[in-house]
Amino acid sequence: MSCAEAGRIHTGDEVAQDLERTCDVCVVGSGAGGAVLAHALVERGLCVVMLEEGGYHTRREFDMREDHAFPRLYQDLGNRATDDLSLTMLQGRSVGGGTTVNWCVCYRTPPKVLALWRDVHGAEGLSEEALAPHWDWLEQRLHIAEWPIAAANRNNRLLWDGLGALGYERHSLKRNVQRCVNSGYCGMGCPVDAKQGMLVTLIPEAVERGLTVFANARVLRLETRGRRVEAVHAQLLDPETDRPTGRRLTVRARVTALCAGAINSPALLLRSGLDGGGRVGRRTFLHPGIVSAALFEEPVNAWYGAPMSVGSRQFAERGDDRLGYLMETPPVHPMLGAIALGGFGLAHQEAMEQLAHVQAALVITRDGVVEGDEGGTVALREGGRRLSIQYPLRAHHWEALRHAQVELARVQLAAGAREVRSLHARPVVVRRAEDLPLLERAPWEALRVKVFSAHQMGGCAMGGDPARSVVDSRLRYHGLDNLFVADGSVFPTSVGVNPQQSIFGLARWGAQHVAAAVGA
Amino acid sequence: MLPLTELPPAAAAGIPRRRFLQGGLLGGALLALGGGALALGGGALALRSTRLVPVPPEGLRVLTPGQYAVVDAFVRRMAPPRPGFPPHEVVRTALNADRILAATEAGAQEDFRRLLDLFESALAGLLLTGRTTPFTRLSPEAQDAVIADWRDSGLALRRTGFQALRALAAGAYYGSPRVWPAVGYPGPPAALHDPAAPVWKGGGAPRPGGGLGGGP
Ligand SMILES: Cc1cc2nc3c(=O)[nH]c(=O)nc-3n(C[C@H](O)[C@H](O)[C@H](O)COP(=O)(O)OP(=O)(O)OC[C@H]3O[C@@H](n4cnc5c(N)ncnc54)[C@H](O)[C@@H]3O)c2cc1C
Repeated sequence: MSCAEAGRIHTGDEVAQDLERTCDVCVVGSGAGGAVLAHALVERGLCVVMLEEGGYHTRREFDMREDHAFPRLYQDLGNRATDDLSLTMLQGRSVGGGTTVNWCVCYRTPPKVLALWRDVHGAEGLSEEALAPHWDWLEQRLHIAEWPIAAANRNNRLLWDGLGALGYERHSLKRNVQRCVNSGYCGMGCPVDAKQGMLVTLIPEAVERGLTVFANARVLRLETRGRRVEAVHAQLLDPETDRPTGRRLTVRARVTALCAGAINSPALLLRSGLDGGGRVGRRTFLHPGIVSAALFEEPVNAWYGAPMSVGSRQFAERGDDRLGYLMETPPVHPMLGAIALGGFGLAHQEAMEQLAHVQAALVITRDGVVEGDEGGTVALREGGRRLSIQYPLRAHHWEALRHAQVELARVQLAAGAREVRSLHARPVVVRRAEDLPLLERAPWEALRVKVFSAHQMGGCAMGGDPARSVVDSRLRYHGLDNLFVADGSVFPTSVGVNPQQSIFGLARWGAQHVAAAVGA
Repeated sequence: MLPLTELPPAAAAGIPRRRFLQGGLLGGALLALGGGALALGGGALALRSTRLVPVPPEGLRVLTPGQYAVVDAFVRRMAPPRPGFPPHEVVRTALNADRILAATEAGAQEDFRRLLDLFESALAGLLLTGRTTPFTRLSPEAQDAVIADWRDSGLALRRTGFQALRALAAGAYYGSPRVWPAVGYPGPPAALHDPAAPVWKGGGAPRPGGGLGGGP
């Protein structure tokens, strides 16, 4: 069945009555996984309907204000967190998902990680050779290229300098941008459409070829009978208030692909009574990380310029029983900066006054690879609508975060920082290398220091053994014939690098299996 | 006084739960404690009431006037008067907080309201630390001490409460462009954003050209 008409993007306010649609494939979610998958399926001539809970926000609305961007473009207004608030998560929620707000860094999946997924988790097919053609295509199509160090903003340049001064490994990162103006507002939606996220690349292209997108369409439940998904049930939301309009949308598709991201895909399965034998929502990985704030004499103005363009693999591998981590940089803007920086009252204001002089560096830890690291869990709270996210930070996480904090401070001091502050509720301040042990002695404990994640993965682990995984090596949900999952949730561990390109590659590779299930 | 602050969370979680206390923004145990204390507060141990502040003319969407007063008092300590910083009343921080909460899920709103009640409650204060005055009626110094107490508590659930309140207050204050000058932020570069940019929805219409710019 190919689509009879040209595709269209519908928003919740345009739907005046309950609707029902039939199609070949229903794709739930429009982020890194969903958009790439839908595009590849439409390319094959299939009729695809995509449902996205978030709104259709475009550069017309991207006014670069935090107080506008977070409520519109992020899950839970940017406040998504574990139940105890010990770990804050940034996660996208609009057409384009995380790719509309992410910081553009692109990495191919490390071969070692693919080998781990194959050898330990039995995920067949995701080899470097199988993925390479897809990555090549994506790199060309999304203009993925190295950001020259000469174009780095001062925030990144200082990380580069500090790494260099210590002789640490450093490299410039690849970004998916075209005609980028180096504004620094990637996280609030690119105001000039330079970011080659799904919002401006594969989604519109797929719409031109027949893809139908419903934005403000929250999927509540998959209806199953026997071994099949019979219908996808969604409610439409008012784009202004994000509250249900009362209108329902039912999609009857030959195949359904769940691409709602690594917190919501497992949640949606659970809401549909599909718990994968208790494994759905388990093995959630977050790359938990910390940020270190350094003060420099000269202004850094870390709010301007490509936010993340320098990285270090110096501590990526720390032995089998320790979590390795990558060093990178986040942007700094007042609202998120205020929430992140520790201190209270006067002390906090004093820190905020110096915001222009703050250089921020972060680490992402490669969770899930240490023996016995099962990550966190996503579950439903009583009543079913609300999520429960738990991620117990264990000794090995704290060991890595503590180590990382010391190393970040060392790098920042080497770059000439006047002082370095941890993001503890009571910040630890160091001014000289001799002070670094203060950071080690700080309380490394939940809710005494900020821990962040912008990389959610897992929850619907892919693998060979149905007793240990949720989807098989073709991304098909064990036990159902026409349900696939294609997003970051199928990673059996964290990917250990910024994940978007891995998810793009996975979805483009997985499209062949989804297409095969509709006989294409 | 019963040293509840010394209890490990697991022990505190043994306190009987009520339906509304299960899970939630703050987990069950702390709120169970607060809920019990508040229930008692209606009786013999009722102490002094919240010191109210005027409710904005626009009205509140989530908070009660009492809860609004607690947010207002907390924000005052988070962003006390300081040269260069706009007063929190001018930023309308507590109103902003109400509006932020209005956009969150109903369950999260409920949790937050309970947290505010607990934070304010003299009885919870009495159980936790021996304080017998509602938060809003304390001196600024005593308020700071209460806040620090929650921040540094041995009970993780109180630290959760502190983090929740602090994030709300920080977001509601520093999210306002009025505060940009105080932190030396010049704001987004002018002229990048085009509020009249066309919105393409397909349906056979030609797609307008992509981005501007000319960087690397
Ligand atoms: C601030 C930020 C910066 C980042 N920076 C980088 C970076 O530089 N490089 C990098 O590689 N990665 C980065 N990431 C991470 C990256 O964007 C994500 O890993 C990636 O987008 C995840 O892809 P996904 O398809 O799994 O989910 P998503 O992209 O999150 O897409 C899922 C979509 O499904 C929708 N959805 C959820 N539930 C439902 C439902 N019930 N019904 C309908 N729709 C639903 C969501 O609203 C969302 O739009 C960043 C993320 C953030 C938030």
